[in-house]
Amino acid sequence: MGKAKGRDTSTGFSRRRFLQGVGVVGVGALVADNALLKAADQPAGASATDGIVSGNVEIVLQVNGRNRKVTVEPRTTLLNALRNNMVPPITGPKLVCDMGTCGCCTVLLDDKPVYGCLTLAIDAVGRKITTVEGIGTPEHLSPVQAAFGEKDGMMCGYCTDGFVTSITGLLKANPNATEEEIREGCKGNFCRCGTYPRIFQAALEAVKARE
Amino acid sequence: MAERNESNSEILSWGPNDKHRLLNTRLPRVDFPYKTTGTAIYTYDVSLPGMLQGRILCSPHAKATIKSLDLSPALRIPGVKAAVKRLDVGGMLRFEGDPIAAVAATTAEIAEDAVLAIQVTYNELPFVVTADDAIKPGAPAVYPDDPAVINNTRVNDERGDSGKVADALKSADAVVEAEYRSPTLHHTCLETHAVVVDYRGGDSATVYVSTQGTFSIPGDAARTLDLDESNVTGIVQYMGGGFGSKGGIGVEGQLACRLSKQAGVPVKMALPRRDEFIMAGNGPGSIQKFRAGVSRDGKLLAVQVEEYGLGGIGGARLAGQPYVYRAENIYRKAGSIHTNEDAARPLRAPGHPPACFAMESLMDELAYKIGMDPVEFRIRNLPENDVHIRQLQRGAKEIGWDRRSRTPGGWPGTVKRGFGCACGVWGGGGRAQCVVDVSIGRDGAVIVSCGSQDLGTGTRTYMVAIVAEELGLEMGDVHEKIGDTRLTNANYSGGSTTAASLSPAVKVAAINAKAEIAKALAPVLGANADDIVFADRKISAGGKTLTWSQACAALPSAGISVRGKFKRGLSSNGTHGACFAEVEVDTETGHVQVIRILDVQDCGLPLNRLAVESQINGGMVQGIGMALLEGRVMDARLGVMINSSFMDYKIPGCLEMPREMLPLIDDDDPRQQVVGVGEPPSVPPAAAIANAIYSACGVRVRELPITPDKVLMGLMGAKA
Repeated sequence: MGKAKGRDTSTGFSRRRFLQGVGVVGVGALVADNALLKAADQPAGASATDGIVSGNVEIVLQVNGRNRKVTVEPRTTLLNALRNNMVPPITGPKLVCDMGTCGCCTVLLDDKPVYGCLTLAIDAVGRKITTVEGIGTPEHLSPVQAAFGEKDGMMCGYCTDGFVTSITGLLKANPNATEEEIREGCKGNFCRCGTYPRIFQAALEAVKARE
Repeated sequence: MAERNESNSEILSWGPNDKHRLLNTRLPRVDFPYKTTGTAIYTYDVSLPGMLQGRILCSPHAKATIKSLDLSPALRIPGVKAAVKRLDVGGMLRFEGDPIAAVAATTAEIAEDAVLAIQVTYNELPFVVTADDAIKPGAPAVYPDDPAVINNTRVNDERGDSGKVADALKSADAVVEAEYRSPTLHHTCLETHAVVVDYRGGDSATVYVSTQGTFSIPGDAARTLDLDESNVTGIVQYMGGGFGSKGGIGVEGQLACRLSKQAGVPVKMALPRRDEFIMAGNGPGSIQKFRAGVSRDGKLLAVQVEEYGLGGIGGARLAGQPYVYRAENIYRKAGSIHTNEDAARPLRAPGHPPACFAMESLMDELAYKIGMDPVEFRIRNLPENDVHIRQLQRGAKEIGWDRRSRTPGGWPGTVKRGFGCACGVWGGGGRAQCVVDVSIGRDGAVIVSCGSQDLGTGTRTYMVAIVAEELGLEMGDVHEKIGDTRLTNANYSGGSTTAASLSPAVKVAAINAKAEIAKALAPVLGANADDIVFADRKISAGGKTLTWSQACAALPSAGISVRGKFKRGLSSNGTHGACFAEVEVDTETGHVQVIRILDVQDCGLPLNRLAVESQINGGMVQGIGMALLEGRVMDARLGVMINSSFMDYKIPGCLEMPREMLPLIDDDDPRQQVVGVGEPPSVPPAAAIANAIYSACGVRVRELPITPDKVLMGLMGAKA
C-alpha cells in the first residue's frame, strides 16, 4: 500500500489518512472530517506499524435515498459492501468478473454509471448511490424497466440489472440517445444469453416513452 | 387431492398452431418485473444469518501429487471458521484447477486470505495440455492404465468401409483434403457455479444451488451431509445461465456441505471467475480431418473422416459426420483426445457446433471447387424433402443471397462483403418425469406449480400461458411456483428437453382443472359439465354466465387441486435450422464484422414467440463468439490456462453485434407439438460466419476463432 498516495475524494478525506486512521490514530479526526464516517471495532493487532492494512470501520453510504450503515475493510469494494456487508443486502448489482469487464455490477454514483467492483466502498461515502432497486420496483417500474419487459430484453436475467442501470444512466445524460449511442453506452456490459438486440430495442423504446 | 392423470373430456391435443389465444403469441415473460428491478433472488444473492463465505484452493499444476498439506495456518486467521481437505498427502491432481481444499470465513475477503495461507507442497509430474502434444508417441499418459487409450486417444466409434471410400475418392471429379479445428470453449455463465448450504446441525437442510436440475440437489447434498434425502430441500429460484455446465451440486457444493457441517452455520460457495474457468467445466474443442470427393454435378461421393473431441480428462463426443448430409460412401473414426485439463461438460448442443463448423466448411470448399452455388450444392446433398431445403431457400431469400459476389473476394474496395450459410440439427424431445399441480381457490386464485427450473428459457411464462389459455383467463390471473423440491417432480434441463417434458404435464393439469371446475359448477349452471364453456374470464352454459370470481366462489370450500402428468404426443423431438450470415472483412486489418445474420429454426408449436426468438438470437450471438472471439489458451510448458478472465477470454459484447439480427421461426413446420429450441439455434451460426468470411475475402480459415491475424496471414498467403 506504500504507493497508495492520498487521492482527494469528494468526501474530503484522503485514502492514506483513512488507512492510517483505521490503523492507529486519527479516528476522532476522521469523524470530525466527515460525520458520515464512524469508527467501529478494530481487531487486535491491526496497526500501521506491522504493515497490515486491515480492520473494520463503520461507514454510512447513501443508497437509493437512504443512509445505510455498513462495516467494511479498506479493501472492500462498493459492490461487496452492498451485497455482503449490508443488512439487509442489496443484491441487484451482481458480482460476475470482479475486474471491471462485464458491467453486471453497474451502479450510479451521482447519476453516473460506475463499476461497483472497481469502486471502493470508502470512496463512495458522501455520494449519491443508486442501484437498480432505486430505479424502480416491480409495482412501479421505470420506463427502462418496463421496456425491457415489453421487448424481452432479458433471458436468465443476471446481466439485466447492470444493463438497466447503464441505460438509465445513459438516458439521464442523453435522453434522446440514438441506437448507435446506446450500443456505445452499453459496451461495458456483457450478456451471455445473447439478448443484445432486444436490449437495444428496449432502450430505444424507453427513449420514445420519454418523448 | 383429486388425481386425474387422463382426461376423458376431450382428445388431448394443442389444436392448430395458428388458433391459440395466448400460446404462439408474443408474451412478455412473467418474471420480468423481478429480473429488471434486482428483486429476483439468485443463489448468488441468498443471504442467511451467520452465513460464511467459502473459497477453494485449486491446483496450480496440470499434474502433481500432494507432498504436504497443512490447513492450520488458514484456521488461525481471525474470521476463518472451517477448513476441509478434498485430497490429502499423496492425492493426485490431474489438471490446473483440480480442487484440493476449501475454507469458510466470515467474509469473502478473509476466505481469500485463508486460501493463500494454506501450506501445500507438490510433486510435479509430466503433463500434456495440448492435443498436439498429447498424441505424440511417448507423451505423458493421462490414463496410463487404460488399454483403450493409445497416445492419449480413445477411439469409440469406427464405421464404414475405408477401401470403398478410397476407391470412390479416386473416381471423384474433385477432392478436398482438410483439417478443421475448434478450441475448447467456456460456458461463462454470468452467475458462476454457486451453492448455499443452510445446515445448522440437526436432521434437515436447505440447499440453494445454481443448477440445471433442482431434483439433483437433495441426493447430492444428503450424501455429503449424511442426512436422509427426503430431509434435504433443494431450491433454484432464479439462475444466471447454465448452458450445460451446471449439473447437481458439483464438487464446490460438496465442499460447501462439508464446511457447513464443520462450522454448524450456513456456507455460501460462489466461485470466483477464475475458478469458474479452470474448475467448473468447458465445452470440448475438436480436431476433424477429412478427405471428401464430389462429382461434377454436385454429388457427395465419399467422405473419409477422423473426428476427435478434446475432452481434457473427460470424454468428448462430436456429432457424427457427414452431419446432416448424405454421401454414397462414408468411413468415420471418432473419439476423444485426453489432456491434463478439466473435464469437458455439455455445452449448448454438445458436439454439434464444432461438427457443423467442420462439415459446413468442407461443403463450402467442395462447392467452390466445382463452381457450384453453395446453397444449391447443399440442397443436392440433403435427404429428399429434408426440412433444411425449405429453410435454405427461405434464408437465401431473406439475406439477399443474390447480392453476393460469386467470386470469393470479388466485392469491390478494401472492406469486402461476403455471404455464407450452414445447417444444423438437434434432437430434444420430452421426458416422462414431469408432474404439475394446478390449484384454484374460492377467491379465484390460480396457481400452477412444478419443481422445475427456469434457466432463462421462459419456463414460468409458458406454464402460466398454458393454464390461462385453457381456463379462458388472462396471463395476470395465473401465478406460478417453480424451483423447489417440495413441489412436484421435474427432469433436469439438458438437451433442450424442458419445454417438451413440462408443457404436456401443464396442459394435462390445466385440462383436469377445467374438468373439475365444470363438474363442480354443472349443478349451479344447470348444465352438463361437458357443455360448459371457459372464455373471456367467464364460465357459461345454457345461456347462463358466471364471472370467474362468481364461479370460483361456488367451488367446494377447499377449492380445487388437480395434478397432471407428462403425456406422450403433446411434444416431439427433432429440430432443423439454417443460418445465413453477411459479413464485412477489412482486408487491411483483418477485422471481421458481422453485418446481418439470420437463423431459420423449426420448433413445432412455439409456446411463446418472443421467448423462442430470444433463444434464436442467443444462439446467433454465441455463434458470433465461437466464430470470431472465443477459445481457451493453454501454456503448453507451464500447463496452465492463460486467458482465464473476461479480459482475455472474449465473449461477444455490444460492439460485435450485427446491424441486423433476424430470428426466424419456421412456421411451415406442420407439427402441433412442442419441440425444445434452447440449443439448436446455436449450432450453425459459427459455420455460416466462417463461410461468409471466405466469400468476402477468399481466405479459408480452418481453425476457430477467426481472429484478424489468421485473416491477414491468409490474405498474405493468397497474394504470395
